[in-house]
Amino acid sequence: MPLLFPREEAVHVRNRYKPDVIKGDMDSIRTEVLDFYANLGTETLDESQDQDTTDLHKCIAYLRDFTPDIDKSNLCILVAGALGGRFDHEIGNINVLCRFSSMRIILLSDDCLIHLLPKTHHHEIHIQSSVEGPHCGLIPIGMPSGSTTTTGLQWDLIDMEMKFGGLISTSNIVKEEKITVRSDSDLLWTISIKKS
Amino acid sequence: MDVMSHSSAFLLPKIPPDHRPSLTYALVVLNQHIPKFTPLLWEHAQLRLCADGGANRLYDEMPLLFPREEAVHVRNRYKPDVIKGDMDSIRTEVLDFYANLGTETLDESQDQDTTDLHKCIAYLRDFTPDIDKSNLCILVAGALGGRFDHEIGNINVLCRFSSMRIILLSDDCLIHLLPKTHHHEIHIQSSVEGPHCGLIPIGMPSGSTTTTGLQWDLIDMEMKFGGLISTSNIVKEEKITVRSDSDLLWTISIKKS
Repeated sequence: MPLLFPREEAVHVRNRYKPDVIKGDMDSIRTEVLDFYANLGTETLDESQDQDTTDLHKCIAYLRDFTPDIDKSNLCILVAGALGGRFDHEIGNINVLCRFSSMRIILLSDDCLIHLLPKTHHHEIHIQSSVEGPHCGLIPIGMPSGSTTTTGLQWDLIDMEMKFGGLISTSNIVKEEKITVRSDSDLLWTISIKKS
Repeated sequence: MDVMSHSSAFLLPKIPPDHRPSLTYALVVLNQHIPKFTPLLWEHAQLRLCADGGANRLYDEMPLLFPREEAVHVRNRYKPDVIKGDMDSIRTEVLDFYANLGTETLDESQDQDTTDLHKCIAYLRDFTPDIDKSNLCILVAGALGGRFDHEIGNINVLCRFSSMRIILLSDDCLIHLLPKTHHHEIHIQSSVEGPHCGLIPIGMPSGSTTTTGLQWDLIDMEMKFGGLISTSNIVKEEKITVRSDSDLLWTISIKKS
């Protein structure tokens, strides 16, 4: 965070950007970092006994189960630093989207964002063209899609079958301000983020 | 069912002469940061291709791996045999530089239905009579990172050419397909890869997968997105075996040197 504010002193930036909670199995956090934030009042929740779920999974479960002050029906979880690095970590993060498919969770990197479009709904995606696009994709993660229909893309799908080993919509382009998607299967939506 | 053997011997400085299977390597460079070990892959490869903007990466980044040499010497030494793709990313001066050195440039801009990697794999499969296809292994550098839809498009190429050996590589990890048609033996080169690994049912759920050699082995286990997927696993033995009723992606971390 201090690197994003090069004209300020690092300690001022760190004090300003103090997390409410640090949660996980604590095998990566440096001791001096843990102490720094604990001293500022950050709640630390050590889940090192649970090796069956990823740190992101633990955080999503925490937000779902232990935050009575937050209206869950309107909750949208933004996940920074979700992509890049080891591929199995990336896939583990994507699987968290699938495991908590009734929650709004958005994975973010400098280059793009990803979120789930559950098959239970017709979807309208309103494009913020000052900050995102035009490159986008629709990905049948986990199982083939027998039928997907879109509007607003350069290469719209009309009752199209999609599967790995066959057609998948990558390197598509958003054409309109509103994209619609309906499918018989959960899909991942991804769109590029513009460099500022 | 036949056994298919896998090994990352191409990450070793020298491939042992008695190493089996004995493979012929081709290298495809894509338009993301090229891994630091790309010169090593280059040495092992009989044929070297750039997919469109991959030529920019080769031109810009190969000299960075040899900081004590002059850039032009490095660029002359690492000259691709072919540049193929729809040519919408390659810079004009890069195209001219390699064309002047004798690189064959194959413009496929009329084909917008397949990715540049797909075009390169099809070229290696269909237009290279001097290469023994039964032993061909295609190494793809710069396959991961950047836009997620590009990454997924590259993974889909593994699925579309499932009878070919294709390995996606980045600085952090490698990925290849384990087709359901075979039992798999993966020989771990622990000096260069591991211990973090994963098995991923890309594309459809797997009703039954069984492994040996991992910290958390799967025994007739069902895997699917939304449920269990084997990520953050650890290789324990020198040989991992995998059999499954479904195509799986194998991924393993690459050690920083």
